[in-house]
Amino acid sequence: MEFVFSQEQQELREAVRRMLTELAPIARNRALAETGERYDARCYRAMAEQIGVQGLALPENLGGGGGSLIDLALVCEEQGAVLLGGPFFGTVVLAAQALLVCQDDPLSQELLAAIGEGERTAALAVLEADGRWDLASLTTHAERVRGGYLLRGTKELVLDGADADELLVVARTDAAAALFRLPPGEHGVHRERLDVLDATRPLARLRLDGAPAQLIGTADAGEQVLRHVHRAGTTMLAAEQVGASRQCVELTTRYARERKQFGRPIGAFQAVKHRLADMASRLELASAAAYWAAWRCAGATSLAGFTSTDAADPMVGATADHAIDEAVAVAGAYCGDAFLRTASDTIQLHGGIGFTWEHDAHLFLRRARADRNVLGSPRQHWVRLGELIGAEGGSR
Amino acid sequence: MTVEERDDHVSATVRELRHWLAGNLPEDWQQAVRAGDGEALAAITADPARLSAWFETLGAAGWATPQWPSTWGGFDCGTDVAAAIRDELDHWAAGRPMADFVGLTLGGPTILEWGSEAQKQRYLPPLARGQERWCQLFSEPGAGSDLAALSTDATRKANGDWVVTGQKVWSSFAHESQFGLLMARTDSSAPKHHGITYFLLDMHSRGVRPRPLRQLTGEAEFNEVFLDEVQVPDSARLGPVNEGWRVALTTLMAERSGLSGRPVVGPGATDQLARRARQTGAWESPVLREKILELAVRERALQMATVRAFVQASSRQPGAEGSIRKLVHGELTEEIGLLGTELEPLGAIAWTPGARQPEATSRFLAGKTYCIAGGTSEIQRNIIGERVLGLPKDADPERDRPFADRERG
Repeated sequence: MEFVFSQEQQELREAVRRMLTELAPIARNRALAETGERYDARCYRAMAEQIGVQGLALPENLGGGGGSLIDLALVCEEQGAVLLGGPFFGTVVLAAQALLVCQDDPLSQELLAAIGEGERTAALAVLEADGRWDLASLTTHAERVRGGYLLRGTKELVLDGADADELLVVARTDAAAALFRLPPGEHGVHRERLDVLDATRPLARLRLDGAPAQLIGTADAGEQVLRHVHRAGTTMLAAEQVGASRQCVELTTRYARERKQFGRPIGAFQAVKHRLADMASRLELASAAAYWAAWRCAGATSLAGFTSTDAADPMVGATADHAIDEAVAVAGAYCGDAFLRTASDTIQLHGGIGFTWEHDAHLFLRRARADRNVLGSPRQHWVRLGELIGAEGGSR
Repeated sequence: MTVEERDDHVSATVRELRHWLAGNLPEDWQQAVRAGDGEALAAITADPARLSAWFETLGAAGWATPQWPSTWGGFDCGTDVAAAIRDELDHWAAGRPMADFVGLTLGGPTILEWGSEAQKQRYLPPLARGQERWCQLFSEPGAGSDLAALSTDATRKANGDWVVTGQKVWSSFAHESQFGLLMARTDSSAPKHHGITYFLLDMHSRGVRPRPLRQLTGEAEFNEVFLDEVQVPDSARLGPVNEGWRVALTTLMAERSGLSGRPVVGPGATDQLARRARQTGAWESPVLREKILELAVRERALQMATVRAFVQASSRQPGAEGSIRKLVHGELTEEIGLLGTELEPLGAIAWTPGARQPEATSRFLAGKTYCIAGGTSEIQRNIIGERVLGLPKDADPERDRPFADRERG
């Protein structure tokens, strides 16, 4: 657990980067999105077989690699850099993290093993009409019947929801909320593929009209599922955004060195150079914030003496919980904004060519805007941070 | 050393410091800190005799300069350990003051890298023990952002010593310093970066005349310094003749890295804003609360970047990325200063006659400090663009021309 990457982590990053450069460069991901193909199965399989990224952060007793969210963040960063679409984020980040909360359940273990092998994809349905990621906004209801549950309600912005092999749904039970699986067959399930701002990230609406469902974990695990997936998901999304921002800075820097006007590369002009410097500054802070959150989520307690007044004091209970929440809120708020502004600056500095359909710049802008709603509203990060630093007596 | 081992090393060092403080920091001092008695503490730290005695003890034990090599009284610590030590000392109000920033953070590392054994022997021990204060004599009225265009002249005498004449400006604490880090022109037939030599100037030499300048805050911390035929022995030259720019880069890098906030993630200036906003009721305004939170996010992200830079840099010198943190820190400080006044119901624009100027007013007025000091934000953006991103250098028609042939503005 560290804020400096280990040798193994650097090798992991390199391996993922090499594979994506070969099998999933931006041009390829773009072509898939434009032709309406969901993903490149060969690439997904290669990621599982050659590097094992799907199972990387799953526990070893479930056949996973036993890695941490820091390892997974490195993978997400590299995927963000090429705007990888397909089922990875929905399956390996959202669905798998939800299942991990309920990993004592044999059904959860079976699904996790299949996900880890790269054999099955899954979608997690949380959001509803108000777009908020919280317990109070859940209206989808699970009715207890003999042998299981029947779900009724409408789920929105379900990542990969039209195509995933498995559908997982967070719904309200009489007493609390829980995680459910819709078994194959899908009676009473209507998957509606939506037209989307960011074609690399397909989204669907799920209408559940008395759909039979299996409970995963306990009947009150829903709240913990929501909290954990929001933390892990926000952090992995932040890492993706760091990768995408990095790509924007690289693309724009290259352009500013090559493009000449008034007899000089435009990057020699301070108006251009300074905007690029601001992009690089945001990237530096975003990267620190994303990995800080990953490192917090991974459960590390001290970092070279910096994190608390006494590095020897283990962070426990509420303190650790607040520290994770704060780190996640900062990463969610900062990295999302930073990416959006950097994508916008990328278009600005490319001028007319940046405003064309064929240039890649708008793909980043689309991704940046779409990212802001896939895990609920970004305002939730500010609200949480406000609760933490606005609490009586401050955050400490 | 693995990260885990380094973690252990840091906490072990901090524990050792605590133990040492318990046995060496005067009892009433410790008591005042433990009791949170600000008045008693202020009385203790306002006593120059007690302060200098304490700095002597602190420096002799090595805690004032933990990053220095052990040969020179330090502990060979990395920047991360040194930062943890500084934090612990700050907690006890027992660290060296901001007025020693130039000496400890800039002078020390520059002398360690470029100084002769005799120079290290002469300058380092008194610096560690707080006996001598240092100032920086770099900027001039005609050489601000274009620092290498400085024209203070150092002419070599037949015996190898030097005569220095010129004018320096923006020199913090020059009026109470014993030594100055001085750059002067020694060869005006060379291009501007190649004719500069670096000296360690005795501020008590004849012909050195500091004149305090009143800042826009109303305070007079920095100075202009007139140098009129000052005799400087060649033993005060740091580094080779005409290679002073390279020596100065050591100083400048250390300065940027040192001016980007402390490497700690936790309550900072924006948490103070939040606390004050709750007192004044401004927290209830969604508009003001959002502004506070926006700055809080940026402050935390900067802290995280600073921690990371310190962890990664624990075994190497600060680099051009320090400019990123300096840039963000400067702009953030300004915005925090302005917002602080907006949380006050009456804007902190007036106060009872004779009362102290409100804290919010002072912070607002000081807001621009780090956007200018240590290299303006514009210069930092140039450095980020050119050294971090590798963009083409800004056009400088005088760069390769002999300094003597420059256009006079």
